[in-house]
Amino acid sequence: MAEWMSVKWLLWISLYLVLGVFVPWATALAWAHQHGSDLRPRPRQLFQRGELGLVGLVLVISVIWNLLQSQYMPQTRALGAVLLAVIGTMAGAVWIETYCRHSTGMASNDERAWRDSRNLAFLVFSVVVVVEILLDRFAKVAAL
Amino acid sequence: MSAPAPALAKPERRTVAVRLADVAVTVAYLSLVFGLLLVFFPVSFPRIIVHSWQSGNLIVAMLVIALTLDAYLYFRIAYLLSARPTALAAACLGSLPIIVVGGCSILLQSAVAQTLAVDLPNPQARIGEEVLAHTYLGLVSGVFLPFLVIRLLQQFRATNSARQS
Repeated sequence: MAEWMSVKWLLWISLYLVLGVFVPWATALAWAHQHGSDLRPRPRQLFQRGELGLVGLVLVISVIWNLLQSQYMPQTRALGAVLLAVIGTMAGAVWIETYCRHSTGMASNDERAWRDSRNLAFLVFSVVVVVEILLDRFAKVAAL
Repeated sequence: MSAPAPALAKPERRTVAVRLADVAVTVAYLSLVFGLLLVFFPVSFPRIIVHSWQSGNLIVAMLVIALTLDAYLYFRIAYLLSARPTALAAACLGSLPIIVVGGCSILLQSAVAQTLAVDLPNPQARIGEEVLAHTYLGLVSGVFLPFLVIRLLQQFRATNSARQS
């Protein structure tokens, strides 16, 4: 009972959600207010070119670092780090592809970029949450 | 010989184009279910996994879950796109989960052997956590990586055919 009351990983993921998603959105609203603009961007409009994929990639980097610092065996650390890197790279690739398409004037579908980045960011968030739970459990076992 | 009438000609069904975003949501839900089971059953869920590993059933269970989810996802994408499944994708989805889960199992055996070889405190609990981590990583890899390979192969083929034409 006491074990699952540990919410360190929940606070950690909330920090990323707040700083990576909520703060940019609030900053855009603040900018619009400061400049007397009617701009009221929704998160979907703000991240419509796949920027959530970039947020996912940044999130993955910090979890890979945490994993490499852990006391898991090298095989486990390597497996986790490679899987996280692959998922993060795929999430970041959505943003890169959308940027390249816009820059070269190729046909680009913002609706699809938003959907792809949202889905892959969701995958990144769910995987890093579980990895953080596993890291938390292992730290407790190693401390015994 | 005259050309077939347009109304009689069969429409060409395009092949399934896999997008990772379609797969990502299902893998994310699988991951969340695993996480929730860990949070709400912190003792019994890991114990079940370790017991299945000790009895040799864990790898079979992981293979069944990975292959079932891969097949479900692929046919769902084909159904939603009204597209034709390809032999290449079927071969990837049939073989890659076995390779990935088998590889994870080998890594786990190696990690367990190393844990026992190094004189660490509380080795049983450490091994349990290693088994838990490998189970999770193996499941996610077994479902996600085959689709990544299919996606990359499809992009490679599309690029090649564009160059040729």
